[in-house]
Amino acid sequence: MKRILGVFLGVLTAIGGFVDMGDLVANAATGARFGMNLAWVVVVGVIGIVVYAEMSGRVAAICQRPVFDLVRERLGPRFGIANLVASFAINMLTLTAEVAGVAIALSLVSSINYLLLVPFVAVLVWLVVWRMPFAIMERVFGILGLCLLVFAVTVWKIGPDWGDLWGQATSPHVPSQETPFTYAYFAIALFGAAMTPYEVFFFSSGAVEDGWTTRDLNENRANVLIGFPLGGLLSLAIMACAHLVLAPRDIGVDELSQVALPVASVVGKLGLAVALIGIFAATFGAALETSLSAGYIVAHYLGWPWGKHVEPRGAARFHVVVMLAIGAAMLIAITGVDPVKVTEYSIVLSAAALPLTYFPILVIANDPTYMGEDHVNSRFVNAIATVYLVILAVVAIWTIPLMIITKAGS
Amino acid sequence: MSRHEGLRRLLVVVSGAVLVIVAAGCVTHPIGAARTYDDYERKATTTAESARSAVATVRLLAEAAGDGNTFGPFAAVVVSEQEDALGGLRGTFASIQPPDDRAVELRDELTPILDDAFTGVGDVRIAVRRGDLEEAARRGDALSAVSAALDAVIEAHP
Repeated sequence: MKRILGVFLGVLTAIGGFVDMGDLVANAATGARFGMNLAWVVVVGVIGIVVYAEMSGRVAAICQRPVFDLVRERLGPRFGIANLVASFAINMLTLTAEVAGVAIALSLVSSINYLLLVPFVAVLVWLVVWRMPFAIMERVFGILGLCLLVFAVTVWKIGPDWGDLWGQATSPHVPSQETPFTYAYFAIALFGAAMTPYEVFFFSSGAVEDGWTTRDLNENRANVLIGFPLGGLLSLAIMACAHLVLAPRDIGVDELSQVALPVASVVGKLGLAVALIGIFAATFGAALETSLSAGYIVAHYLGWPWGKHVEPRGAARFHVVVMLAIGAAMLIAITGVDPVKVTEYSIVLSAAALPLTYFPILVIANDPTYMGEDHVNSRFVNAIATVYLVILAVVAIWTIPLMIITKAGS
Repeated sequence: MSRHEGLRRLLVVVSGAVLVIVAAGCVTHPIGAARTYDDYERKATTTAESARSAVATVRLLAEAAGDGNTFGPFAAVVVSEQEDALGGLRGTFASIQPPDDRAVELRDELTPILDDAFTGVGDVRIAVRRGDLEEAARRGDALSAVSAALDAVIEAHP
């Protein structure tokens, strides 16, 4: 019974924890500009993250070491350092966006300028990382993130023409006022938001923090096979809300507050309160995950003791990196950079660096010296994963040119 | 130059370019000079589209506030954000040098509408900050004329 409850809570956590600042912004902005014509990208992204997260969770459970602990050992220090630099830089951008996102969520209920709240948020993130046990931290914010279900309720309350929504999603086209380049750019943004690298760093390191073994492989599968697709539905609900409420009024999404506006308009105060709790939980949870990921990737590369399962004194350098990363994110955020732009750049640049994250996972998950003959990838998984590697390579090549051609989607 | 050194330089150049793009893009209202009328017209249309979005956001918010569907702090932040955005758009558009007389005419057409939008949104903000959400809804309704004017500019300059 305890095990079933654990799996259930894990799935709920995976659903609620799926959405972060990048998903909120990318899905709402896309829905407002392209309707449901890019919904297929969310589906493609979710399948990709399911395949690779399952793989990385399996590697962690079998080897008792997270994937990036093995990257340097298996692929050498040169590949490891390239991976470290790219991953750390993008993770920093994401952390900055999440910290700003939490501050904005708090400003929406307090009316205090979000820049004044950024230092407070940074301290709060650090305190939670420092003091709260890993499992509780993961569950609390993941389950609170389920408040975002209010976006699905909003869509249902609007009572849209479901046939039209389905038609747009299944027969996508480039809207007349857009170009194929902006369509492709936003597709990459959505793809990057769904397959953000930190999700894999955190998922794989979290598996070790939670002490997963081969007995937990089913929980791993349940989390990714049930939790992530349902989390993807939340993303689609946010997209649909923006399409149904904001697009008819020619509203583009440039602020996080606009993401919640359809809920206020349709469901009212209670709905708005629930949406704001959901946005807070989603961004705060992601801020915790990205700040820990900063420590994880550096500690894994340099071979330091790491994680919350180790006494802080025993993993002092790991905690210093986490603290410095939070401090740096705070300093970047309070310069007044546009948090939505930072978010957009973080997800688009994530897309450019995705092969660096996902290629090593595929290599290690196929290596019997790490996985044993019984737990290496099946042919089916390898076939899908290889197709995704090709997609990731194409996306990586096109990201920067598209960013320049479309002036970052403007 | 060895192959490795060349590759390293290429990586440095690409990384630098990405950093510059990111830094430039994250600045609010980045906009370049307009050298031709077409260029100026495109910037005017983009400005009008962004202003229309800001005004429509405030109208939707004011409508929700009038129906008792929002909290005061939320409404205040949303309106202030859009007011800031409009202020930025207005200032940035005003700073673009019109390249010829047609561009000056377009400038004279759009600038008063942006002023009206900024003032109208400011009115909604004042009502919201005073906690008078019904007045905010009325002020929001009054913005429909500004929206129509912005629509007209966008349609006339596709």
